[in-house]
Amino acid sequence: METGAQPRTPPGVPRTAEIPPEVRESITDFLYYEADLLDERHYEEWVELFTDDARYEVPVRVTREKKAEWDVSPTARIIDDSKEMLQVRVARLNTEYAWAEDPPSRVRHFITNIRIHPGDTEGEYAVRYNVLIYRSRGELPRYEVLSGQRRDVLRETPDGWRIAYRQVILDQSVLATYNLSYFV
Amino acid sequence: MQTVNTASVPEFVQRMWHTLPEGRVPAKIFNDPAVYELEKERLFSRAWCFLAHESEVPHPGDYVLRWIGDNSIIVVRDEHGEIRAHHNRCTHRGNQVCKAEMGNASHFRCSYHGWTFKNTGDLIGVPYYREVYRESLRKGEWGLKPVRIDTYAGLIFGTLDPEAEPLDEYLGGFQFYLDFFLKPGPNGTEVYGPPERWVADTDWKICAENFGGDGYHTPVTHQFGFQLGFYPSSGKTHFMGYAVHIPGRGHLIGIGHTPGLPPFVGFPEEVVEGMQQALSPEQIEVFSPARMSVGTVFPNLSFLIQPFSLTPKQPGLKFCTMRLWHPRGPGKIEMFSWCLVPKDAPQSVKDELYRIYNLAFGPAGTFEQDDFENWTNLSRQNGASSAADFDLAYFQGLDWEPLKDHPGPGLAFTPYVTEIGFRNLWGTWLNYVSTPPGERVDPSRVPPAFHPPQ
Repeated sequence: METGAQPRTPPGVPRTAEIPPEVRESITDFLYYEADLLDERHYEEWVELFTDDARYEVPVRVTREKKAEWDVSPTARIIDDSKEMLQVRVARLNTEYAWAEDPPSRVRHFITNIRIHPGDTEGEYAVRYNVLIYRSRGELPRYEVLSGQRRDVLRETPDGWRIAYRQVILDQSVLATYNLSYFV
Repeated sequence: MQTVNTASVPEFVQRMWHTLPEGRVPAKIFNDPAVYELEKERLFSRAWCFLAHESEVPHPGDYVLRWIGDNSIIVVRDEHGEIRAHHNRCTHRGNQVCKAEMGNASHFRCSYHGWTFKNTGDLIGVPYYREVYRESLRKGEWGLKPVRIDTYAGLIFGTLDPEAEPLDEYLGGFQFYLDFFLKPGPNGTEVYGPPERWVADTDWKICAENFGGDGYHTPVTHQFGFQLGFYPSSGKTHFMGYAVHIPGRGHLIGIGHTPGLPPFVGFPEEVVEGMQQALSPEQIEVFSPARMSVGTVFPNLSFLIQPFSLTPKQPGLKFCTMRLWHPRGPGKIEMFSWCLVPKDAPQSVKDELYRIYNLAFGPAGTFEQDDFENWTNLSRQNGASSAADFDLAYFQGLDWEPLKDHPGPGLAFTPYVTEIGFRNLWGTWLNYVSTPPGERVDPSRVPPAFHPPQ
């Protein structure tokens, strides 16, 4: 940096420099809190962190040649939920018949590399960060680790930060999990 | 049966010739290394295996990478529009020539010594051809090894057996039922996007069986759907409908009926019109009253049409999923799950159908999650050593009579919940894995799946 070189940042990747430290701290704290709600399985509180117009997407990742225009499918999704659909998933988990989560998975979300940029709308921020998700289930020593990047739009509301948009880009084209009965 | 050389077939598989007609299936077939080896040698090397949907390779040069058994296969549309399949193996040292799972290429160039193949498979480039081969290499003989393919209603199948019967014969009349999934209009179906793929410690066979019409599991495994108010049927009528199988061929379908549902309920208006044009009166008679349909093309390709909605207590729309249960080892699969949409439907309808499919199926699907919970656990239990001596109960419908007035091919039974088609499925499987390499698989040897009282 002393030579005046700028850090190499691809186009479209947000920089955090212009974000006031208190906003940065507040967003970081919110993301940690949200991850904790998931890991502790407080799903009903968790789903209320989404705005009513929220969209939650997990696109399909595809192995392509380097020159290809995309490797995150523009059409195929693993999850493409509204808040209402997320509420359906939570309601399902609360029935006695969500067999995939009984006994529950032990899940841990690790969040790093948080970068924040002002959003397109006043009071919104575009936040990109890495997420590593560990899952263990049952008495078997096997576990799964999924790695990905979350691209959120967080909105400031009178009740605090809310998630208006979340895209989770996973780093496998063939997922090493037998199901995604937990939230990534 | 006397001509079968079963020398390398495990005892618990040989036993099936006697136990299956009595309604017993050895648990160990659902997770065993010797069974997996037999399946590679005798089943996936001879059957017509699903490769791709034509809409995945719409333009010249488009390709996808798929599997037959443990063989990587390039499926590509050449410059003349013809679909071809090649082994993904350079003829010089065997290196993988195509490394992306989809794309567009006029040729494939090996990254080792640079041999280059046109998408037709022809060898067109050999570095230092004159200097090192001195024209002794006949390029015409060293193209990518082709795989025999055939298509039905947009589905591309391949077989490694040059002697295999034509695909039409192999399907054996099951086309009548496949049309319900594949002909929602005069122009058929297309995939909405690339498939979702994931791996599981699950044997492919239990998945193929379940999607052959296991209506029995629905009220328990997917009870949440009833609890939250998603289903137009109740547990009381859920077992009603028809189970059809093609004897000796393995293909099977379950067609669930709920009394009082209007014809074609749950299909968008445009799709109903398309189906009425594309299907025969007999097909319309069978399918228009169906609540849902779920079927398997032997060995490992399945389809499902069922109504679902984004939130409970809605009328629901009928989406279609196509899935391939690809074996990746003993008790292990790689899943390919597609959503098929009617090609003629407006984009808004395609989008909505895909979103509904997504909530129900794929790795995060609310139905799929619980299926894989069961299938993974049962595959583990059936891989245990004691499972070789343990027979599972396949008694449903042993003494039933087939319907006499069913308008479609194959044998039809009512109600939908029965295990008759599963016995035909495992009889067909048994026939393949019992027939040594070099001999023809004779469908007439498959034991009958039911024994009506005399």
